[in-house]
Amino acid sequence: MFRSILRQSRAFNGTTTRNLATATTTSVTPRIKTFKIYRWNPDTPEVEPKMQSYDIDLNHCGPMVLDAILKIKNEQDSTLTFRRSCREGICGSCAMNIGGRNTLACLCRIETDTAKETKIYPLPHMFVVRDLVPDLTHFYKQYKSIQPYLQTENHPADGRENLQSIEDRAKLDGLYECILCACCSTSCPSYWWNQQEYLGPAVLMQAYRWLIDSRDQASRVRKEMLQNSMSLYRCHTIMNCARTCPKGLNPGKAIAEIKKQLAFD
Amino acid sequence: MARLSGLQREVLKLYRNCIRTIKTKPIDTQDHWRQFIREEFKKNQHISKKQFNVIEHLIRVGHRRFEQYSSTQIKDIH
Amino acid sequence: MLSLTSRVGLARTSLPIRSSIPLLIRGIKTIPQPPGYIVGTVNDAYVPPKAHKLEGSYHWTSERLVALGLAPLTLAPLLGGTSTLLDSTLSVLVLYHSYTGFQSCIIDYIPKRVYGSLHNYAMYLLTFGTGVAGYGLYKIETSEEGGVSGIVKKIYTA
Repeated sequence: MFRSILRQSRAFNGTTTRNLATATTTSVTPRIKTFKIYRWNPDTPEVEPKMQSYDIDLNHCGPMVLDAILKIKNEQDSTLTFRRSCREGICGSCAMNIGGRNTLACLCRIETDTAKETKIYPLPHMFVVRDLVPDLTHFYKQYKSIQPYLQTENHPADGRENLQSIEDRAKLDGLYECILCACCSTSCPSYWWNQQEYLGPAVLMQAYRWLIDSRDQASRVRKEMLQNSMSLYRCHTIMNCARTCPKGLNPGKAIAEIKKQLAFD
Repeated sequence: MARLSGLQREVLKLYRNCIRTIKTKPIDTQDHWRQFIREEFKKNQHISKKQFNVIEHLIRVGHRRFEQYSSTQIKDIH
Repeated sequence: MLSLTSRVGLARTSLPIRSSIPLLIRGIKTIPQPPGYIVGTVNDAYVPPKAHKLEGSYHWTSERLVALGLAPLTLAPLLGGTSTLLDSTLSVLVLYHSYTGFQSCIIDYIPKRVYGSLHNYAMYLLTFGTGVAGYGLYKIETSEEGGVSGIVKKIYTA
Protein backbone atom coordinates (compact mmCIF):
# COMPACT_ATOMS: atom_id res chain seq x y z
CA MET A 1 0.00 0.00 0.00
CA PHE A 2 2.62 2.46 1.11
CA ARG A 3 4.87 1.39 -1.71
CA SER A 4 2.20 1.94 -4.27
CA ILE A 5 1.68 5.51 -3.09
CA LEU A 6 5.40 6.03 -3.35
CA ARG A 7 5.38 4.68 -6.86
CA GLN A 8 2.54 6.95 -7.77
CA SER A 9 4.28 10.00 -6.46
CA ARG A 10 7.44 8.97 -8.28
CA ALA A 11 5.45 8.49 -11.43
CA PHE A 12 3.92 11.89 -10.93
CA ASN A 13 7.32 13.45 -10.49
CA GLY A 14 8.51 11.66 -13.57
CA THR A 15 5.78 13.10 -15.75
CA THR A 16 6.33 16.64 -14.53
CA THR A 17 10.00 16.52 -15.33
CA ARG A 18 9.27 15.04 -18.74
CA ASN A 19 6.83 17.83 -19.47
CA LEU A 20 9.44 20.35 -18.51
CA ALA A 21 11.97 18.61 -20.71
CA THR A 22 9.74 18.77 -23.79
CA ALA A 23 8.96 22.39 -23.08
CA THR A 24 12.63 23.26 -23.03
CA THR A 25 13.47 21.37 -26.22
CA THR A 26 10.64 22.99 -28.18
CA SER A 27 11.62 26.46 -27.07
CA VAL A 28 15.07 25.79 -28.49
CA THR A 29 14.02 25.10 -32.06
CA PRO A 30 10.78 26.83 -32.96
CA ARG A 31 9.56 25.90 -36.44
CA ILE A 32 7.98 29.10 -37.61
CA LYS A 33 5.83 28.66 -40.67
CA THR A 34 4.25 31.54 -42.53
CA PHE A 35 0.67 31.30 -43.75
CA LYS A 36 -0.61 33.82 -46.25
CA ILE A 37 -4.35 34.02 -46.14
CA TYR A 38 -6.79 35.82 -48.43
CA ARG A 39 -8.65 38.52 -46.56
CA TRP A 40 -11.62 40.53 -47.73
CA ASN A 41 -14.19 42.21 -45.57
CA PRO A 42 -17.69 42.87 -46.96
CA ASP A 43 -18.27 45.60 -44.36
CA THR A 44 -15.71 47.74 -46.17
CA PRO A 45 -16.27 46.54 -49.74
CA GLU A 46 -14.29 49.38 -51.28
CA VAL A 47 -11.06 48.05 -49.72
CA GLU A 48 -9.29 45.69 -52.10
CA PRO A 49 -8.81 42.09 -50.98
CA LYS A 50 -5.31 41.40 -49.65
CA MET A 51 -3.07 38.57 -48.50
CA GLN A 52 -2.32 38.66 -44.80
CA SER A 53 0.64 36.82 -43.29
CA TYR A 54 0.48 34.86 -40.06
CA ASP A 55 3.42 33.15 -38.38
CA ILE A 56 2.81 29.92 -36.53
CA ASP A 57 5.13 27.70 -34.53
CA LEU A 58 4.45 24.21 -35.86
CA ASN A 59 5.60 22.68 -32.56
CA HIS A 60 2.50 24.06 -30.91
CA CYS A 61 0.11 23.30 -33.70
CA GLY A 62 -1.75 20.25 -34.96
CA PRO A 63 -0.67 18.60 -38.22
CA MET A 64 -3.47 19.79 -40.49
CA VAL A 65 -4.02 23.16 -42.14
CA LEU A 66 -7.35 23.49 -40.36
CA ASP A 67 -5.51 23.26 -37.02
CA ALA A 68 -3.28 26.12 -38.11
CA ILE A 69 -6.21 28.28 -39.23
CA LEU A 70 -8.07 27.60 -36.00
CA LYS A 71 -4.92 28.51 -34.06
CA ILE A 72 -4.68 31.77 -35.94
CA LYS A 73 -8.34 32.52 -35.24
CA ASN A 74 -7.98 31.64 -31.55
CA GLU A 75 -4.73 33.39 -30.82
CA GLN A 76 -3.86 35.97 -33.44
CA ASP A 77 -6.81 37.28 -35.40
CA SER A 78 -10.37 36.50 -34.40
CA THR A 79 -11.77 38.25 -37.46
CA LEU A 80 -10.46 35.55 -39.81
CA THR A 81 -13.56 33.91 -41.28
CA PHE A 82 -13.92 30.40 -42.68
CA ARG A 83 -16.34 27.49 -42.63
CA ARG A 84 -15.52 24.42 -40.59
CA SER A 85 -17.47 21.80 -38.79
CA CYS A 86 -16.41 18.17 -38.39
CA ARG A 87 -12.60 18.59 -38.64
CA GLU A 88 -12.31 15.06 -40.06
CA GLY A 89 -13.28 15.30 -43.72
CA ILE A 90 -16.90 14.22 -43.62
CA CYS A 91 -18.82 17.49 -43.70
CA GLY A 92 -17.14 19.26 -46.61
CA SER A 93 -17.37 22.68 -44.99
CA CYS A 94 -13.70 23.64 -44.95
CA ALA A 95 -13.08 23.34 -48.70
CA MET A 96 -10.54 25.96 -49.76
CA ASN A 97 -7.63 26.48 -52.10
CA ILE A 98 -4.47 25.56 -50.20
CA GLY A 99 -1.14 25.90 -51.97
CA GLY A 100 -2.88 26.09 -55.33
CA ARG A 101 -4.99 22.99 -54.85
CA ASN A 102 -8.63 22.75 -53.88
CA THR A 103 -8.92 20.54 -50.87
CA LEU A 104 -10.39 20.24 -47.42
CA ALA A 105 -8.32 22.10 -44.83
CA CYS A 106 -8.96 19.33 -42.32
CA LEU A 107 -7.51 16.65 -44.62
CA CYS A 108 -4.54 18.67 -45.85
CA ARG A 109 -1.27 18.30 -43.95
CA ILE A 110 0.78 21.39 -43.29
CA GLU A 111 3.87 21.27 -45.43
CA THR A 112 6.65 20.99 -42.80
CA ASP A 113 9.18 22.88 -44.90
CA THR A 114 9.19 26.14 -42.95
CA ALA A 115 11.15 27.98 -45.65
CA LYS A 116 8.11 27.93 -47.90
CA GLU A 117 4.98 29.84 -47.07
CA THR A 118 1.56 28.29 -47.53
CA LYS A 119 -1.00 30.37 -49.38
CA ILE A 120 -4.67 29.89 -48.66
CA TYR A 121 -7.43 31.24 -50.90
CA PRO A 122 -11.17 30.64 -51.02
CA LEU A 123 -12.46 28.25 -53.70
CA PRO A 124 -11.57 29.76 -57.08
CA HIS A 125 -14.13 31.44 -59.32
CA MET A 126 -16.83 31.62 -56.71
CA PHE A 127 -18.29 34.81 -55.33
CA VAL A 128 -16.66 35.53 -52.01
CA VAL A 129 -18.86 36.19 -49.01
CA ARG A 130 -15.98 36.99 -46.70
CA ASP A 131 -12.33 35.90 -46.34
CA LEU A 132 -12.35 32.15 -47.09
CA VAL A 133 -16.12 31.75 -47.36
CA PRO A 134 -17.42 31.28 -50.91
CA ASP A 135 -21.03 31.70 -51.98
CA LEU A 136 -22.29 28.20 -52.84
CA THR A 137 -25.93 29.17 -53.45
CA HIS A 138 -25.82 28.50 -57.18
CA PHE A 139 -23.99 25.22 -56.62
CA TYR A 140 -26.75 24.04 -54.30
CA LYS A 141 -29.43 25.24 -56.71
CA GLN A 142 -27.82 23.12 -59.39
CA TYR A 143 -27.70 20.16 -57.04
CA LYS A 144 -31.40 20.62 -56.36
CA SER A 145 -32.15 20.65 -60.10
CA ILE A 146 -31.02 17.04 -60.59
CA GLN A 147 -33.61 15.88 -58.03
CA PRO A 148 -31.25 14.05 -55.71
CA TYR A 149 -33.82 11.75 -54.12
CA LEU A 150 -35.37 8.37 -54.83
CA GLN A 151 -38.28 8.50 -57.26
CA THR A 152 -40.21 5.28 -57.58
CA GLU A 153 -43.74 4.07 -58.27
CA ASN A 154 -43.44 0.66 -56.64
CA HIS A 155 -43.47 0.80 -52.92
CA PRO A 156 -42.42 -2.27 -50.99
CA ALA A 157 -45.33 -4.48 -49.92
CA ASP A 158 -44.44 -4.42 -46.25
CA GLY A 159 -44.29 -0.63 -46.26
CA ARG A 160 -40.69 -0.58 -45.14
CA GLU A 161 -37.40 -0.10 -46.91
CA ASN A 162 -36.74 -0.13 -50.66
CA LEU A 163 -34.33 -3.05 -50.84
CA GLN A 164 -31.74 -3.69 -53.51
CA SER A 165 -29.33 -6.54 -54.19
CA ILE A 166 -25.73 -6.44 -53.00
CA GLU A 167 -24.50 -6.14 -56.60
CA ASP A 168 -26.78 -3.17 -57.28
CA ARG A 169 -25.64 -1.54 -54.07
CA ALA A 170 -22.00 -2.06 -55.05
CA LYS A 171 -22.57 0.12 -58.14
CA LEU A 172 -23.04 3.12 -55.88
CA ASP A 173 -19.62 2.74 -54.27
CA GLY A 174 -17.36 5.57 -55.29
CA LEU A 175 -20.39 7.81 -55.87
CA TYR A 176 -22.32 7.99 -52.63
CA GLU A 177 -19.24 9.05 -50.65
CA CYS A 178 -19.32 12.51 -52.21
CA ILE A 179 -19.75 15.17 -49.54
CA LEU A 180 -20.49 18.03 -51.96
CA CYS A 181 -17.54 20.14 -50.83
CA ALA A 182 -17.42 21.72 -54.33
CA CYS A 183 -13.65 21.18 -54.60
CA CYS A 184 -14.02 19.40 -57.95
CA SER A 185 -16.54 21.78 -59.49
CA THR A 186 -14.46 24.83 -58.64
CA SER A 187 -11.30 23.23 -60.04
CA CYS A 188 -12.93 22.63 -63.43
CA PRO A 189 -12.07 25.25 -66.09
CA SER A 190 -15.31 24.49 -67.90
CA TYR A 191 -17.20 25.27 -64.71
CA TRP A 192 -15.25 28.51 -64.35
CA TRP A 193 -16.31 29.75 -67.78
CA ASN A 194 -19.86 28.40 -67.85
CA GLN A 195 -20.79 28.06 -64.22
CA GLN A 196 -24.25 29.34 -64.81
CA GLU A 197 -25.34 26.57 -67.16
CA TYR A 198 -22.82 23.74 -66.85
CA LEU A 199 -23.68 21.62 -63.83
CA GLY A 200 -20.11 20.79 -62.84
CA PRO A 201 -18.51 17.49 -61.83
CA ALA A 202 -19.89 17.21 -58.30
CA VAL A 203 -23.50 17.64 -59.35
CA LEU A 204 -23.11 15.43 -62.44
CA MET A 205 -21.62 12.66 -60.34
CA GLN A 206 -24.69 12.78 -58.13
CA ALA A 207 -26.86 12.78 -61.25
CA TYR A 208 -25.12 9.56 -62.25
CA ARG A 209 -25.52 8.17 -58.76
CA TRP A 210 -29.30 8.48 -59.13
CA LEU A 211 -29.30 7.30 -62.75
CA ILE A 212 -27.79 3.94 -61.90
CA ASP A 213 -29.69 3.38 -58.69
CA SER A 214 -31.60 0.14 -59.32
CA ARG A 215 -34.57 1.34 -57.28
CA ASP A 216 -35.00 4.65 -59.09
CA GLN A 217 -37.54 4.82 -61.92
CA ALA A 218 -37.18 8.42 -63.08
CA SER A 219 -34.11 7.86 -65.25
CA ARG A 220 -35.96 9.01 -68.38
CA VAL A 221 -36.59 12.43 -66.85
CA ARG A 222 -33.10 12.54 -65.42
CA LYS A 223 -31.53 11.85 -68.82
CA GLU A 224 -33.84 14.30 -70.54
CA MET A 225 -32.53 17.05 -68.25
CA LEU A 226 -28.97 16.54 -69.47
CA GLN A 227 -29.84 16.44 -73.18
CA ASN A 228 -28.55 19.86 -74.16
CA SER A 229 -25.24 21.37 -75.06
CA MET A 230 -24.64 23.06 -71.71
CA SER A 231 -25.66 20.93 -68.72
CA LEU A 232 -23.48 17.88 -69.36
CA TYR A 233 -21.53 18.28 -72.58
CA ARG A 234 -19.40 21.20 -71.42
CA CYS A 235 -17.27 18.51 -69.76
CA HIS A 236 -14.14 18.19 -71.90
CA THR A 237 -12.58 15.43 -69.77
CA ILE A 238 -10.02 17.80 -68.26
CA MET A 239 -9.99 15.54 -65.17
CA ASN A 240 -9.04 18.25 -62.69
CA CYS A 241 -11.99 16.96 -60.69
CA ALA A 242 -10.51 13.50 -60.11
CA ARG A 243 -7.10 14.98 -59.35
CA THR A 244 -8.35 17.39 -56.71
CA CYS A 245 -11.05 15.33 -54.98
CA PRO A 246 -10.12 15.18 -51.28
CA LYS A 247 -12.15 11.98 -50.92
CA GLY A 248 -10.37 10.23 -53.79
CA LEU A 249 -13.46 9.89 -55.97
CA ASN A 250 -13.56 10.14 -59.74
CA PRO A 251 -16.29 12.47 -61.04
CA GLY A 252 -14.73 12.44 -64.51
CA LYS A 253 -15.43 8.75 -64.86
CA ALA A 254 -19.01 9.20 -63.69
CA ILE A 255 -19.55 11.91 -66.30
CA ALA A 256 -18.07 9.64 -68.99
CA GLU A 257 -20.52 6.93 -67.91
CA ILE A 258 -23.44 9.34 -68.24
CA LYS A 259 -22.28 10.30 -71.73
CA LYS A 260 -22.09 6.62 -72.62
CA GLN A 261 -25.59 5.98 -71.29
CA LEU A 262 -26.96 8.95 -73.23
CA ALA A 263 -25.20 7.83 -76.42
CA PHE A 264 -26.94 4.45 -76.27
CA ASP A 265 -30.21 5.97 -75.14
CA MET B 1 -30.14 63.21 -67.42
CA ALA B 2 -26.86 61.53 -68.27
CA ARG B 3 -26.92 58.17 -69.97
CA LEU B 4 -26.65 55.51 -67.29
CA SER B 5 -24.30 52.58 -67.46
CA GLY B 6 -25.63 49.04 -67.20
CA LEU B 7 -24.48 48.79 -63.63
CA GLN B 8 -26.16 52.02 -62.62
CA ARG B 9 -29.39 50.81 -64.16
CA GLU B 10 -29.07 47.58 -62.17
CA VAL B 11 -28.79 49.59 -58.96
CA LEU B 12 -31.78 51.71 -59.88
CA LYS B 13 -33.78 48.60 -60.72
CA LEU B 14 -33.01 47.14 -57.33
CA TYR B 15 -33.94 50.40 -55.60
CA ARG B 16 -37.23 50.65 -57.47
CA ASN B 17 -38.07 47.04 -56.68
CA CYS B 18 -37.41 47.70 -53.01
CA ILE B 19 -39.56 50.82 -52.97
CA ARG B 20 -42.39 49.07 -54.81
CA THR B 21 -42.40 46.21 -52.37
CA ILE B 22 -43.18 48.63 -49.54
CA LYS B 23 -46.82 48.51 -50.68
CA THR B 24 -47.05 44.87 -49.61
CA LYS B 25 -46.24 45.80 -46.01
CA PRO B 26 -48.80 46.95 -43.40
CA ILE B 27 -49.67 50.63 -43.83
CA ASP B 28 -48.45 51.80 -40.44
CA THR B 29 -44.97 50.35 -40.98
CA GLN B 30 -44.46 51.61 -44.52
CA ASP B 31 -42.64 54.73 -43.37
CA HIS B 32 -40.15 52.60 -41.47
CA TRP B 33 -39.46 50.58 -44.58
CA ARG B 34 -39.00 53.62 -46.77
CA GLN B 35 -36.57 55.13 -44.31
CA PHE B 36 -34.69 51.85 -43.94
CA ILE B 37 -34.28 51.37 -47.69
CA ARG B 38 -33.07 54.92 -48.17
CA GLU B 39 -30.57 54.60 -45.36
CA GLU B 40 -29.22 51.32 -46.68
CA PHE B 41 -28.68 52.77 -50.15
CA LYS B 42 -27.21 56.00 -48.75
CA LYS B 43 -24.65 54.00 -46.78
CA ASN B 44 -22.84 53.05 -49.97
CA GLN B 45 -23.45 56.20 -51.94
CA HIS B 46 -19.82 57.27 -51.56
CA ILE B 47 -18.52 54.35 -53.61
CA SER B 48 -17.02 55.44 -56.90
CA LYS B 49 -18.92 54.36 -60.00
CA LYS B 50 -15.75 52.82 -61.38
CA GLN B 51 -15.47 50.23 -58.63
CA PHE B 52 -17.39 47.62 -60.57
CA ASN B 53 -16.49 44.69 -58.34
CA VAL B 54 -17.72 46.47 -55.25
CA ILE B 55 -20.98 47.61 -56.82
CA GLU B 56 -21.66 44.17 -58.23
CA HIS B 57 -21.05 42.68 -54.81
CA LEU B 58 -23.42 45.17 -53.22
CA ILE B 59 -26.08 44.39 -55.82
CA ARG B 60 -25.73 40.67 -55.05
CA VAL B 61 -26.05 41.29 -51.34
CA GLY B 62 -28.90 43.70 -51.96
CA HIS B 63 -30.86 41.15 -53.96
CA ARG B 64 -30.35 38.56 -51.27
CA ARG B 65 -31.58 40.89 -48.54
CA PHE B 66 -34.45 42.11 -50.72
CA GLU B 67 -35.62 38.54 -51.16
CA GLN B 68 -35.37 37.95 -47.45
CA TYR B 69 -37.18 41.11 -46.39
CA SER B 70 -39.91 40.90 -49.04
CA SER B 71 -41.35 37.84 -47.33
CA THR B 72 -44.86 38.68 -46.12
CA GLN B 73 -44.02 37.28 -42.70
CA ILE B 74 -41.72 40.21 -42.04
CA LYS B 75 -44.00 43.11 -41.16
CA ASP B 76 -41.91 45.84 -39.60
CA ILE B 77 -38.38 47.12 -39.44
CA HIS B 78 -36.62 49.52 -37.11
CA MET C 1 -20.68 44.73 -67.46
CA LEU C 2 -17.44 42.93 -68.11
CA SER C 3 -18.41 39.64 -66.57
CA LEU C 4 -14.86 38.33 -66.23
CA THR C 5 -13.74 41.16 -64.00
CA SER C 6 -16.91 41.00 -61.98
CA ARG C 7 -15.73 38.36 -59.54
CA VAL C 8 -14.06 39.58 -56.45
CA GLY C 9 -10.64 38.21 -57.19
CA LEU C 10 -7.35 38.84 -55.49
CA ALA C 11 -6.29 42.42 -55.90
CA ARG C 12 -7.87 42.56 -59.30
CA THR C 13 -7.96 46.25 -59.97
CA SER C 14 -10.72 47.30 -62.27
CA LEU C 15 -9.09 48.21 -65.56
CA PRO C 16 -10.07 51.66 -66.75
CA ILE C 17 -11.28 51.44 -70.34
CA ARG C 18 -8.61 53.26 -72.28
CA SER C 19 -9.06 54.75 -75.69
CA SER C 20 -6.15 52.63 -76.92
CA ILE C 21 -8.42 49.59 -76.92
CA PRO C 22 -9.80 49.24 -80.43
CA LEU C 23 -13.31 50.41 -81.00
CA LEU C 24 -14.42 46.92 -82.05
CA ILE C 25 -13.60 45.42 -78.66
CA ARG C 26 -14.95 48.39 -76.74
CA GLY C 27 -18.11 48.16 -78.78
CA ILE C 28 -18.88 44.59 -77.67
CA LYS C 29 -21.79 44.73 -75.29
CA THR C 30 -22.24 41.76 -73.03
CA ILE C 31 -25.57 40.80 -71.56
CA PRO C 32 -25.69 41.53 -67.81
CA GLN C 33 -25.98 38.36 -65.77
CA PRO C 34 -28.34 37.91 -62.83
CA PRO C 35 -26.62 38.87 -59.56
CA GLY C 36 -24.79 35.85 -58.15
CA TYR C 37 -26.14 33.84 -61.13
CA ILE C 38 -29.25 33.31 -59.08
CA VAL C 39 -32.44 33.16 -61.13
CA GLY C 40 -35.59 33.14 -59.04
CA THR C 41 -35.30 32.79 -55.31
CA VAL C 42 -32.42 31.19 -53.45
CA ASN C 43 -34.43 28.04 -52.80
CA ASP C 44 -35.63 27.40 -56.36
CA ALA C 45 -33.84 24.69 -58.28
CA TYR C 46 -31.76 25.72 -61.27
CA VAL C 47 -33.70 25.27 -64.52
CA PRO C 48 -31.66 23.62 -67.28
CA PRO C 49 -32.03 24.62 -70.93
CA LYS C 50 -34.59 22.77 -73.04
CA ALA C 51 -33.71 19.23 -74.10
CA HIS C 52 -32.31 19.11 -77.62
CA LYS C 53 -30.89 15.77 -78.69
CA LEU C 54 -29.08 17.19 -81.73
CA GLU C 55 -27.09 19.48 -79.45
CA GLY C 56 -26.79 16.82 -76.78
CA SER C 57 -26.07 13.15 -77.19
CA TYR C 58 -26.26 12.97 -81.03
CA HIS C 59 -23.68 15.71 -81.33
CA TRP C 60 -21.36 14.03 -78.86
CA THR C 61 -21.78 10.58 -80.41
CA SER C 62 -21.07 11.88 -83.91
CA GLU C 63 -17.94 13.61 -82.61
CA ARG C 64 -16.68 10.33 -81.12
CA LEU C 65 -17.56 8.25 -84.20
CA VAL C 66 -15.72 10.68 -86.48
CA ALA C 67 -12.70 10.68 -84.17
CA LEU C 68 -12.72 6.88 -84.17
CA GLY C 69 -13.10 6.74 -87.94
CA LEU C 70 -10.19 9.13 -88.45
CA ALA C 71 -7.68 6.74 -86.86
CA PRO C 72 -7.73 3.98 -89.55
CA LEU C 73 -8.21 6.54 -92.33
CA THR C 74 -5.03 8.37 -91.26
CA LEU C 75 -3.10 5.14 -91.04
CA ALA C 76 -4.28 3.79 -94.39
CA PRO C 77 -2.25 6.13 -96.67
CA LEU C 78 0.81 5.58 -94.48
CA LEU C 79 0.67 1.79 -94.68
CA GLY C 80 -0.65 1.22 -98.17
CA GLY C 81 -1.62 3.33 -101.09
CA THR C 82 -4.63 5.59 -101.18
CA SER C 83 -7.54 6.16 -103.48
CA THR C 84 -9.55 9.27 -104.23
CA LEU C 85 -12.51 7.86 -102.31
CA LEU C 86 -10.41 7.08 -99.24
CA ASP C 87 -8.64 10.39 -99.42
CA SER C 88 -11.79 12.47 -99.81
CA THR C 89 -13.46 10.61 -96.92
CA LEU C 90 -10.44 11.40 -94.78
CA SER C 91 -10.45 15.08 -95.66
CA VAL C 92 -14.19 15.44 -95.12
CA LEU C 93 -13.95 13.77 -91.72
CA VAL C 94 -11.01 15.98 -90.73
CA LEU C 95 -13.06 18.98 -91.79
CA TYR C 96 -16.06 17.86 -89.74
CA HIS C 97 -13.77 17.06 -86.81
CA SER C 98 -12.32 20.57 -86.78
CA TYR C 99 -15.79 22.04 -87.31
CA THR C 100 -17.17 20.39 -84.17
CA GLY C 101 -14.01 21.26 -82.27
CA PHE C 102 -14.32 24.95 -83.07
CA GLN C 103 -18.03 24.75 -82.36
CA SER C 104 -17.21 23.56 -78.84
CA CYS C 105 -14.76 26.44 -78.45
CA ILE C 106 -17.44 28.94 -79.48
CA ILE C 107 -19.99 27.44 -77.09
CA ASP C 108 -17.39 27.59 -74.31
CA TYR C 109 -15.97 31.04 -74.85
CA ILE C 110 -18.65 33.00 -76.73
CA PRO C 111 -21.69 31.67 -74.87
CA LYS C 112 -25.08 32.82 -75.99
CA ARG C 113 -26.14 33.85 -72.50
CA VAL C 114 -23.36 36.49 -72.37
CA TYR C 115 -22.83 37.51 -76.00
CA GLY C 116 -26.30 36.99 -77.47
CA SER C 117 -26.29 37.40 -81.23
CA LEU C 118 -22.48 37.52 -81.37
CA HIS C 119 -22.61 33.81 -80.59
CA ASN C 120 -24.71 33.27 -83.70
CA TYR C 121 -22.37 35.40 -85.83
CA ALA C 122 -19.39 33.36 -84.63
CA MET C 123 -21.24 30.21 -85.62
CA TYR C 124 -22.08 31.66 -89.06
CA LEU C 125 -18.44 32.62 -89.53
CA LEU C 126 -17.37 29.10 -88.61
CA THR C 127 -19.87 27.56 -91.00
CA PHE C 128 -18.73 29.92 -93.74
CA GLY C 129 -15.08 29.05 -93.10
CA THR C 130 -15.90 25.37 -93.14
CA GLY C 131 -17.72 25.84 -96.43
CA VAL C 132 -14.72 27.60 -97.98
CA ALA C 133 -12.40 24.90 -96.69
CA GLY C 134 -14.76 22.25 -98.07
CA TYR C 135 -14.69 23.92 -101.49
CA GLY C 136 -10.88 24.00 -101.31
CA LEU C 137 -10.82 20.32 -100.49
CA TYR C 138 -13.10 19.61 -103.44
CA LYS C 139 -10.71 21.54 -105.69
CA ILE C 140 -7.73 19.62 -104.36
CA GLU C 141 -9.41 16.26 -104.78
CA THR C 142 -10.46 16.98 -108.36
CA SER C 143 -7.36 18.70 -109.70
CA GLU C 144 -4.40 17.72 -107.53
CA GLU C 145 -2.50 14.47 -108.04
CA GLY C 146 -3.03 12.11 -105.07
CA GLY C 147 -5.37 14.46 -103.21
CA VAL C 148 -4.58 15.68 -99.70
CA SER C 149 -2.32 12.76 -98.80
CA GLY C 150 -0.44 13.39 -102.04
CA ILE C 151 0.24 16.98 -100.97
CA VAL C 152 1.37 15.86 -97.51
CA LYS C 153 3.67 13.32 -99.15
CA LYS C 154 5.17 15.98 -101.41
CA ILE C 155 5.79 18.36 -98.48
CA TYR C 156 7.28 15.54 -96.41
CA THR C 157 9.70 14.39 -99.11
CA ALA C 158 10.60 17.90 -100.26
